[in-house]
Amino acid sequence: MFKNTTGYFFLLPSIIILGFTSVYPAIYSFILSFYNWNWGVQQDFVGFSNYLFLLGDKEFWIVIKNTFLFAFFACSIEVLLGIILAIYIDRINVGSGLIRSILLIPLMISGIVVSLMSKMMLNKLFGVIPYLMKQIGFSSGFYGTKSSAMWTLIGVDAWWQTAFVFIIILAGLQSIPKEPIEAARIDGVSEWGITRYIRLPMIRSLIFLVILFRSIDTLKIFDLVWGATGGGPGLSTEVVQTYAYRTAYGFLQMSKAMTIIVIFSIIVALLTIFYNRVDQKIR
Amino acid sequence: MILLKKHKHLITAYIVATLAVLATLLPIIWVGMLSLKSKGETFTRPPKWFFEPTFTNYVKIWENELFTNTFINSILITSIAIVLSISIALFAAFALKRYNIRFKGAFMQWLLIAYMLPEFLFIIPMYGIYQKLGFYDAHFGLALMYQVHVLPFSIWMLRSFLDEVPKEIDDAATMDGCNAFETLYKIYLPLILPGITATAILNAIWIWNELTIALGLTFSDSQPITLGIASFRGYISIDWGGMTSGSIIAIIPMVIFALIAQKHIVKGLTLGSVKG
Repeated sequence: MFKNTTGYFFLLPSIIILGFTSVYPAIYSFILSFYNWNWGVQQDFVGFSNYLFLLGDKEFWIVIKNTFLFAFFACSIEVLLGIILAIYIDRINVGSGLIRSILLIPLMISGIVVSLMSKMMLNKLFGVIPYLMKQIGFSSGFYGTKSSAMWTLIGVDAWWQTAFVFIIILAGLQSIPKEPIEAARIDGVSEWGITRYIRLPMIRSLIFLVILFRSIDTLKIFDLVWGATGGGPGLSTEVVQTYAYRTAYGFLQMSKAMTIIVIFSIIVALLTIFYNRVDQKIR
Repeated sequence: MILLKKHKHLITAYIVATLAVLATLLPIIWVGMLSLKSKGETFTRPPKWFFEPTFTNYVKIWENELFTNTFINSILITSIAIVLSISIALFAAFALKRYNIRFKGAFMQWLLIAYMLPEFLFIIPMYGIYQKLGFYDAHFGLALMYQVHVLPFSIWMLRSFLDEVPKEIDDAATMDGCNAFETLYKIYLPLILPGITATAILNAIWIWNELTIALGLTFSDSQPITLGIASFRGYISIDWGGMTSGSIIAIIPMVIFALIAQKHIVKGLTLGSVKG
């Protein structure tokens, strides 16, 4: 083996930069969550009172509920739709490269652009979608009403991110060895049977990986919500990250914002460690 | 009839694919059409499907200094962040492949957690720290903060590319008297150059599209294009022409990048755990 000191030397720049950009602010946030810092000079140690305040705060629980509602439905729709698309498009030989390239496009668009595109198309007065819906006798408030804003966001996120699931699952399906499928086909198993009992079980750890990735990503949603609704109307689409942003930058309640994000980060970190276990099995 | 039955699965597959392609493309085409409409035609009822395209929105946005500045800022920030992440990540990936590092597992776990944690955990404390250091609203400051995401990503990607290089090549280089630096630059670097390009492109796509960190750590001088586009959604009036043409300008370079790096996208999306 090579001299290990050289190895640590090569690793050092990464450790310094990641230390400064992740460990330092994370510890800073954690410590400040026990103070009452409101962007002034006053900084008193208040123990757990920020945490206790949040746990009893109705607004905070609405935000938590919104975040998990968004994450659950957006993630479920994207995973289901992505897998179904992958199963079908896996059967296509001619033109599959082109189809794949096109379906990939939404992933390359930033959340803010997606949010503005959706705002333009869903605008009650001049949007094309409400117009077309009206022609066939439907109507919806989309981002405008409390009852529909969250579902609109979930739908838009599905348009944006389904390709993530699709592209990974498709790669998984295409890497399955051909022999067991040929054997099953000779035994007269139907195409759906092959998918259900051979293909999907063979890529189940990959499906699990995709679910974890999507769930963490949807829990962290910010740009789409900030751009499309800004958390409104009322609190109906406020999610953890937009709430933390508003608390820190709008109300300058730095310690409260840090407390919110620390609680949330612990949830995300646990999910990540869980993911890492699964990932190591795949590799 | 038999032929139809045999091809039934293929026919449904093509129907599903067509629907998916339409659902993906129509919104983008629609916004592209809006960007080519004149002000009066933008939101007529019923919508105009056929019209004479005009480039006024693009000319206007190009003359809008606030927007072009954000465009240039994004190019600068993206370049700085990529040079920083690729050069540092290359060393780290090399160390992880070649040396027997203690705490290797812990280091990888740290990379993953830093990559996954919500942005505001880092941004809110950095808001104050950056102002003291003079990094607030600076290109370098933003590019540095982006490392929390692009550095773990690059280390993963480059490591998975380095792992594909057979160990014998390394041994031969050492026998010939190459030191660690020489082995990295003369032997590994040329071999994984396509991987480095792919990693840089995928980094560029992420950085170009990033909004959250930029919103927290910039104010005016170094705002990237995402915030430039967001500014058209003003509180007083909405600039629809700016929104549509700005969106298209932001989308096109990334779609081209994605097509170039397409072979490696699956690997990128799964942090190197699945080969595309």
